[in-house]
Amino acid sequence: MRKRRHLLKSLCSLALVTVLLGCATGKTFSELSGGLTPPPPGQGRIFIYRTIVLGFAVQPSVKLNGDVVGTAVPQGFFYVDRPAGVYQISTETEVTRTLSLTLEPEQVRYVRLGIGMGFFVGHVYPELVDDAQGQADVATCHYTGT
Amino acid sequence: MIPATSTGSRCAPVRVRVSLLAALLCLGAAGCAFDVSRLQKTPTRFEAEQAGAEWILNEDVTIWLGTGFPTKLRKNTHWSMVGKVPEGDVFRTHDQLVTAEASNIYEAWPVMQADLLVGFYLPVEHAFAAARPPVQLARSQGGGT
Repeated sequence: MRKRRHLLKSLCSLALVTVLLGCATGKTFSELSGGLTPPPPGQGRIFIYRTIVLGFAVQPSVKLNGDVVGTAVPQGFFYVDRPAGVYQISTETEVTRTLSLTLEPEQVRYVRLGIGMGFFVGHVYPELVDDAQGQADVATCHYTGT
Repeated sequence: MIPATSTGSRCAPVRVRVSLLAALLCLGAAGCAFDVSRLQKTPTRFEAEQAGAEWILNEDVTIWLGTGFPTKLRKNTHWSMVGKVPEGDVFRTHDQLVTAEASNIYEAWPVMQADLLVGFYLPVEHAFAAARPPVQLARSQGGGT
């Protein structure tokens, strides 16, 4: 009985450590925001973030118009500055999920990476959120960009 | 005594049924996991227009596009005409986000024929997605974004 309890405790600890290791650990947004410069003239900024820890083992690359720009790390965020135009943000697990959006000069857009049920693994999908929600969400995340 | 072949022929349909059931379950589950919802859209031609009509939406509206996901427009949002497509006049707002959602998500701009919202223009795909059914909007003149 004691052995079983010990084993259970060890497994719980291991699970907790694994979850924590799977989360972002960089600077928080508030630590970073002082050093954030606005996007260059004629460009807009897209914040991409993931608040959900559920499915932490699933951390696909995030692509912007086909180019990898970051990774969907739980409780992590990064941003890209791009010229005004149209963009597609996609994530790929067992399926590809895409978000299409426009970007205007000096505009800031927030893209949240949600997680949905899948057949073998969860699906990470990008969704557009409004500025107020995006700012509040990003404030709780850690920077994972380079 | 029952011949071996006879036993085999009696068991075979059961095995076949189980295999078929398993295959169906797998297909069903795979169907759930992959593209479960597609947005029906047709290519269209957008012509930008400056200083178009402006209006305010008087009530919350829910629009369906046949994907199973609703698109909601909020009361008191200000809309400005930004262009035209063959299907109608295209409007935008800065008061809320508008997306058409299926397995993928698309930024969407409402397309109007008079007071009838007939669908959405998808600016990235240069396509039109029809509302099913079109929705009459209660709106008042004025506003601006």
